[in-house]
Amino acid sequence: MKKIEILRINSLNRAPLIVEGYLFEGSNPDAPTVAIVGAMEGKTILPLYTASKLVDFLKNSISESKNILGNILVIPSINHYALNINERFWPLDKTNLNTMFPGYAEGETTQRIAKRLFDAISGYTHGIILENREDLSTCFPYVRLFQSGYEDIKNAKKFGYKIVHHKELRPTDTVSLQYNWQLWGTKAYSVMCPNETQIDMNSSNEVLEGIISFLSKNKIIKYKVLNGFESTVVTKEDIEIVKTPKSGIFIPTKQIGSHVIKDETIGKIIHAIEGEVIHKIVAPSNGVIACHYKNGLIFENAVSFRIIKSG
Amino acid sequence: MQITEIFSSQLPVGETLSIKRSRFEPTHKKDNLKRISIVSGTHGDELEGQYVIYLLSSWLNKNSSLINGIIDLYPAVNALGIDSITRGFPLYEVDLNRAFPGGKEEYLPGQVVYALAQDVKGSDIAIDIHSSNIFLREIPQIRINKEFSEFTLPHAKELNCDFIWIHDAVTVLEATFSHTLNQMGTRTLVVEMGVGMRLTKEYGVQLLNGILNLMKKEGIITTDEKFESREPFLSEIGEVFYINAPTSGLFVPELNHCEVITKNAKIGTIVNPLDGAILETIYAPSGGILFTLREYPIVYEGSLLARIFGNTDEKN
Repeated sequence: MKKIEILRINSLNRAPLIVEGYLFEGSNPDAPTVAIVGAMEGKTILPLYTASKLVDFLKNSISESKNILGNILVIPSINHYALNINERFWPLDKTNLNTMFPGYAEGETTQRIAKRLFDAISGYTHGIILENREDLSTCFPYVRLFQSGYEDIKNAKKFGYKIVHHKELRPTDTVSLQYNWQLWGTKAYSVMCPNETQIDMNSSNEVLEGIISFLSKNKIIKYKVLNGFESTVVTKEDIEIVKTPKSGIFIPTKQIGSHVIKDETIGKIIHAIEGEVIHKIVAPSNGVIACHYKNGLIFENAVSFRIIKSG
Repeated sequence: MQITEIFSSQLPVGETLSIKRSRFEPTHKKDNLKRISIVSGTHGDELEGQYVIYLLSSWLNKNSSLINGIIDLYPAVNALGIDSITRGFPLYEVDLNRAFPGGKEEYLPGQVVYALAQDVKGSDIAIDIHSSNIFLREIPQIRINKEFSEFTLPHAKELNCDFIWIHDAVTVLEATFSHTLNQMGTRTLVVEMGVGMRLTKEYGVQLLNGILNLMKKEGIITTDEKFESREPFLSEIGEVFYINAPTSGLFVPELNHCEVITKNAKIGTIVNPLDGAILETIYAPSGGILFTLREYPIVYEGSLLARIFGNTDEKN
C-alpha cells in the first residue's frame, strides 16, 4: 500500500489541507481498477467512516496482497476543513465541491480542488462515490445512477443493496463527480449512505459489505463474500412521496426498511407548542420505506417519507 | 398599490413563512397593459436589490398618475435567508438560484421558487437584481445568456448600467430564475452590482434611473421626465481577465474598485500578518477597467481577487 498526496491547499490561519489517497496495487495488470471517494462534504460521517474502514480492510483483512487483483485507490476525505468544524460545504465560500467537476486548474479554490482530485482519479475502470442525500432525509444504503446514457446498471447491482435508483438527470447534476467521471470513461456509481450524525454499526456494515461485494464480483479482489440483495431498479414512477400537510414536531413510527401496507400509520406530527397530535401520516400504498425526514421539526408540505411501491 | 402573498408556509414553531409581492397599476384599468417584474433577495446575503425596489416603490407611490402598465415588485424571495444572513435557503443550504423551475411537490425551497416563477410568468420583462456576494464588489452590470440575447440585449442597454456581459449557455445555469423565465417567454435580465450584505446608495440610484428609463421606453410609465441612460460597454468588444489568488493569505488591495488601470499596475498584495511577509504581489495582466474587486480579504489559493475588462489582444 502506498500513501499518495492527491492535493494540498495552504491556509493563512489553518494547517494546510492535505488530501491523501491509499493506493493498493493489484497483482494482475489486466484486472479492472477502482477509485473510491469518501467525504466530499462535511457532515458526511458514514462516507468517511466507510472509506476509512475500507482502507483498514484492504490493509489488514486481505491475507495475501496477491488477492488484490486490480489497483484500488481509496481517498477517505477530501474536505477535512469542513468536517473538522461541522460545516457542510467549503467553509470560506460555502461552495459545494460536488458541483465543481470536472474542475478548472486556473479557477476558484473548489474548482482547483475538483480538478486535482479529478486528475488523480481519472482512468480507473470503476469509480465509487460515497455520498449522503442532499435533502434533509435519511435512507437505507442504495446506489444512485443518473440517467445519463453512460450508466452501467448491471454492475450497480453487484453492490447487493436493496435498490438501484435510476434517477433523472437535472441540469445541476452535470457538474457532479458521478456525471463527469462517466463522461470521461469511468463507470461511476454513487453509494448513498444513511445520513447520520453518529455511526450506526448495522448500516455502516451494510455499506461496507456492499463495496467489498462489488470489488469481489468485479474481480478486483479475490475474497469470498455472502450475496446481498438482488437489487431492484427503481425509477421516479416506483416511488411514492408522502408529504405532511402540517408543520410541527415529526415522529416517524415506522423505521426505514419496514414494509408497510396501505393506510397504515407510519408517523405523526405533534403541535410544537400545545403537544397534541395534529396529523397522522399514513402509507398511501403498500411498499417499503426507503427514506424519511431526519429532523425533529418538519415544514408544511415537506416530504416525510419516500416509499418504494410494491404489490 | 396592492400587496399579495404569493407563497406561504406554516413553519414548525409559531411562524408563517410568507413571500410577498407589491403591484402597482393604473387607477383605471385598461386591457393589454405591459407588465414588468422586479425580483431581488434570491440570495439571502444580497441586499442591494432591496434598496432599488424601495426607491422604485417610493417613486411609484409619488407618481401613481404616470403608471400605464403593471409593475410587480418581489423584494425578498429568500425571506428566511435575508433575515438570518444566509445566502442559501436556511436549513436546506440550497442555492435558490439553482433550484428553478421547482415544483409544488418538491421540498420547501423548490416550492418557493415554483411559486415565484408561476407568479412572474406572463410578465413582458423581468429584472433579477443580485449583488455579487460578500466577497466581491461589482460595478452595475447586466449578465445575459447568449441564447436569449437577441431579445434581452436591447432592454439591457436601457438600464443605465456600465457593463453588459454576454456569456455562453451553460447547462447548470438552466436551473436559474432568468433561464426559466426566458424559456417561459418573459425577457429576463440579471443585474449584478455592489457587494453582499451592504447597500451602495449611488448604484441603487443609478439602477433606479435605468429601470424608470426602460419602463418609459416600454410605455409602462408615461412621463416627459428624462432618465439617465449611460452607454454600457459590451463584453463582446473586449476580453474579461480573471485574477485569482496564487496563494492563500490576507489580500490588501492597492487600487480602487472601478478604476481604469494600465497593464502591470499593482492591484494589491497577499500578506501574512503573523510574520509580516509579503507572499505575493498581484499585477494587472491587462489594462482596462477594474470592474470586480475583492472585498473580503481572507483568500485561499484560487479565490477571485479581481476582474478587468480590457483589450482582447492583451489576453495572456
